[in-house]
This record gives sequence, C-alpha cells and structure tokens, in this order.
Amino acid sequence: MIEFRSVSHAFDDVPVLEDVSLSIDAGEFVLLAGANGSGKTTLLRHSNGLLEPDSGEVLVDGTPVAEDLIAARSSVGMVFQHPRDQFVAATVGEDIAFGPENLGLDRTEIDRRVTAALEAVNMAGREDERIDALSGGEQSRVAIAGALAMEPTHLVLDEPFTGLDDPARRSVLERLASLSADGTGVLLATHDLRDVCGLADRVIAMHDGRVAVDGPPADALDELDGLEVRVPDTTRC
Amino acid sequence: MLTYEPDESLAHRLDPRAKLAVQIGFAATALAHTTPRALIAFSALTAVAMATARLSLRRTLVSYRLALVVLAIAPLLAGVTVGPPWFDRSAAVASGLASYRVLLILLVSAAYVRSTPVRDSRAAIQRTIPGKPGQLLGVGVGLVFRFLPVLRGDLRTIREAMAARLGTERGVVDRASTIGMLGVTRAFDRADRLSLALRARCFAWNPTLPALAFSRVDYPVLGLAVVLAVSAFY
Repeated sequence: MIEFRSVSHAFDDVPVLEDVSLSIDAGEFVLLAGANGSGKTTLLRHSNGLLEPDSGEVLVDGTPVAEDLIAARSSVGMVFQHPRDQFVAATVGEDIAFGPENLGLDRTEIDRRVTAALEAVNMAGREDERIDALSGGEQSRVAIAGALAMEPTHLVLDEPFTGLDDPARRSVLERLASLSADGTGVLLATHDLRDVCGLADRVIAMHDGRVAVDGPPADALDELDGLEVRVPDTTRC
Repeated sequence: MLTYEPDESLAHRLDPRAKLAVQIGFAATALAHTTPRALIAFSALTAVAMATARLSLRRTLVSYRLALVVLAIAPLLAGVTVGPPWFDRSAAVASGLASYRVLLILLVSAAYVRSTPVRDSRAAIQRTIPGKPGQLLGVGVGLVFRFLPVLRGDLRTIREAMAARLGTERGVVDRASTIGMLGVTRAFDRADRLSLALRARCFAWNPTLPALAFSRVDYPVLGLAVVLAVSAFY
C-alpha cells in the first residue's frame, strides 16, 4: 500500500501540494485526475522518493519512504510522462535491465525479468532494437517495461498517453488493466478520463494541490465539473 | 534555478546597460581591493543590489550551491603545504577573502539576471557593441540564457530517471559516465531541435529588439558604475 499522510510540498515557496492524505491499496487501479499544475506529478514523485515532503510523510507497505529509499523504489515502479526522459540506455534490453542490475540480481534473473517485462507489454524478442528507432507507442511500452522489470507492487504512471494515438493508447491501457488484475496496484495520472475510467476502481481528482474528489468512478464523475478534467461523453463510466 | 522573474522592483525598471555597467565596475573594483574594510563596503553594496532586485539570499545561494562548494574548498586547498607546517593560515585567509569577493560578484550578477529579460540583455549588448561583433555576442548571450536552463532540466531528468530505478546504487564513476553520455547526447539533440525551431520561426541576426532608453533613475546608477570602475585604479 502507498500511503500519503498530510503531505505538503512547495517549490520556491509556491505551494504545490497542501496537506494531502490518501492511500492506494495493492491491486487497486486508481486514476489521479486534475488539470495541469494541480499537483499530480509532484504527488507521484513523492511515491518513490524522487521528492521529499516539506511536511507529512509517505509510506510504502508500511515503511516511510525516507527510511528505506531502496525498498520504496523497488516496490513503486515509476513511468515518466515523456518516455524519452526515462531512458538511460541506447537499446531496449539494456534500458529494461538497468533497474534489475541496480538491485544486484544475477544475470540469469535479469534476463528473465527483461524477457518477462517485454512480454508483458507485447514486445517480446525486441531486446536488441535501438530505442530511438521505435515509434512513440512502442517507446511508451518500453518505458512501462523498464518499471515492470523491477517487479513492483505498484506502478505509478504520469500521463503515459501523451503523444500516443488511439491504438497505442488502447494497447497500453489493456496492459495496465491486465497488470492490475494480476495484483499490481496502478496509480495513473491523467487529465483525460476518456477510455480509462471504466477500468478504474477509484478516481482521485486534484485541484490546487489538494484532493478535491476521491471515490468510485461512477460517483466521482459528477463532481469533476470545474476541475478542467476531460470526462467521457457518457454520464457514467 | 536563477533566471529572470517579472517584478516591479527598482532593478527591473533600470536600463540593462546601466545594470551591466555597474556589474563591470563592481567586478573590477572588487578584484582590485582586497582589504577587509573594502570587503565590508562591497558587502553592503551587494546587499543594496540584491534588495533593489528583490532577490532572496537563500534561494540564490541554493542556485549557486555548486559554485559555493568550490569557493569553500579553495581556501582549504590554498592553505595546505607539502611539509611543515602542513597548513599555511595566511594563504588560506587570502584565498578565503578572494572566494568571498567572487561570491559577492556572483550575487550582484544574480540581481542582474533576476531583473533583466534575455532580450533586453541582447538589446543592451547589440546597442553597446556595434556591428557583427555585437550581433554575435548578443545572439550568443541570448542562446546561452535560453539553452542553459533547458540543459540543466535535462540533466535533472536524467538523474531522476536513474534514481527512480535505483541508479543511485551504482558507483560514482558509473553514474557520472551515464549522466555525462546521456547529457551530451541530449544536449546535441536539444541543439538540433532548437536550430530547427529557430529556422522555422525565421531566425534573424538583427531582429527587432526592445527599445531601450535611459530614464532619470538610470543616471545615478551610471554614476555609481563610473565611480566603481575608477576606484579600481586607486
């Protein structure tokens, strides 16, 4: 479980998160909605210790992130908004192996994880391809595979559909739904709830650094007016 | 990140040429005078410059943290001797005072950066230095001020991407080489995109630059710049 307890954070004295308290259970598929600048990315970055709260604390599986950064980063896989920002190697296989190598695993286990992660995103056998030769959708899937190779209990994704066309978007969504069904907690930040809210167990909407809405999609949709979130045309998910 | 921030401070209202002149004069006299009494006067002047630009000392020092480390280490290295007495206090003090002077110059520069839009800096340079040299220098300054924050952002993203997958557990050399290689690759990539964007928007060596005009508040500042520059020789 990822738990945020009264988390506040400011950049250059400008508050971005204010007293945020919420928790994400294992296996739960949660949408984090909100307009640009509402605090979504900042909140996600706290989940695996890329940022430290000015006040409050973040716990992963009961342990404060600040106390055990390695455990937090092993348990919470983070997918950045722009896949290119996330890559640290030239080829698909090298990049996906980066995290497992940092865990000190043996080569056989690393290879197994790379293969499994690529299979999970429908890109089996493409370890040796250059990342910069992949399409935008494929790069997104490699970015997700890079996080999956850590075998996290939670996957945290920051607007992963940026720049993706509809087929690529659907493909990524199917993967996320299947991961969630297999027990991986998914926290997906987006300002566009079309297609995704039918998959979610819960919708959390941020506004001006605070949690404005938190509930099941069917109930939450009615409360999103004025939060600049793009909702489905239908009134219900 | 130290960068221009819109505001209504006194420094924001000054002509960039007056501010550049003060910077040059201040740097010249700060480097020429090394006595503690002079440093007290320079500190006071720096405080005034920062106050007129409404510059936060804490934020500026955070922005300069890497430079501060170097400035702090310099006196220690200067004091070390090979053989007895192993540490020369007077050499360390002299180096420490020099470091402090550099810090003051950096703080005054920060006041300029916070209070001056990039295009105003470019206009000031091109109006002061005529012809191609001025254009080249103006374009160069404009590009550096625009490109540097982006590159720093890229480096920060690389570090975060590595940290998110426990890259922090790797050795220093491994991390430095990864960040270095990726940083250079992305810098070239950024340069390519910047070049394309400039051409797409009809880049010109001599575009319409903002009109600059000295006002009444600029004259005392220019006078101060002259006094500072002249004082460097006495």
